[in-house]
Amino acid sequence: MRIKAKSKNGITTVKVMFKHPMLSYDEAKKKGKEANFITYVVANVEDKKVFEVSTSQFLSKNPYMKFAFKGDFKGKEIVISWVDLKGNKKTGKKKIK
Amino acid sequence: MERRKFLGFGLGALAVMAMPRTLMATNYREKLPDVWKIKNDEASKGKSLDGTKKAIKAIFGTDKVEEGKIKLKAPDIAENGAVVPVSFKTEKATRIALFQSADPEALVAIFDVPEIGIPDYSVRIKMKQTGTVTVVAEVDGKLYSASKVVKVTIGGCGG
Repeated sequence: MRIKAKSKNGITTVKVMFKHPMLSYDEAKKKGKEANFITYVVANVEDKKVFEVSTSQFLSKNPYMKFAFKGDFKGKEIVISWVDLKGNKKTGKKKIK
Repeated sequence: MERRKFLGFGLGALAVMAMPRTLMATNYREKLPDVWKIKNDEASKGKSLDGTKKAIKAIFGTDKVEEGKIKLKAPDIAENGAVVPVSFKTEKATRIALFQSADPEALVAIFDVPEIGIPDYSVRIKMKQTGTVTVVAEVDGKLYSASKVVKVTIGGCGG
């Protein structure tokens, strides 16, 4: 998981890229594999929820997301977690610049 | 009992372990499992918006939407349907859902905007063919939408 997070003028902007094949049912069938894709992503800063999305098979491979939230959180840590269809989970952390 | 039930969800367990305040997590895979299965009309080759409309109704309870309030950015022509950048923003919203008419199912994602969240998002999506990208935002109990046709030319062979 690659995270870039920056606070400026009272707004924090985050760019994140997850490493995941995001195999849709169609793609999985063609490749003779099982479909699997990220289904839910949540981001928190200091126990405060800052981003939340439920996702489908139609996000691109290695999905990229950009989001923003109010407040200056310079020096604080952002914690981003995803879960996929098969129940795999991953959490990434990054200090906000 | 309620608590045990909640912990039964894999994601609930994740939320509890990682961050106690996300007990209020809204995972629409668990909350609305059927909306993800709503099909686009495949015979229309991306032209029909029936799937999008059905999915809007299933998520928000109505498909009455007004145009406006949302700025949607998507390419006019996407040479690679596997990576189509889509951005959208609105001044405020509690929920935003993203749809397209090009793939087998209509729904792409549902964003729950947290209290301090700013509804200004970018993602990259897959589109099997030319179709319409639609964003619906819930603002003060009303639904607003914006949509755009994205022409997909796979591998530059002219779709």
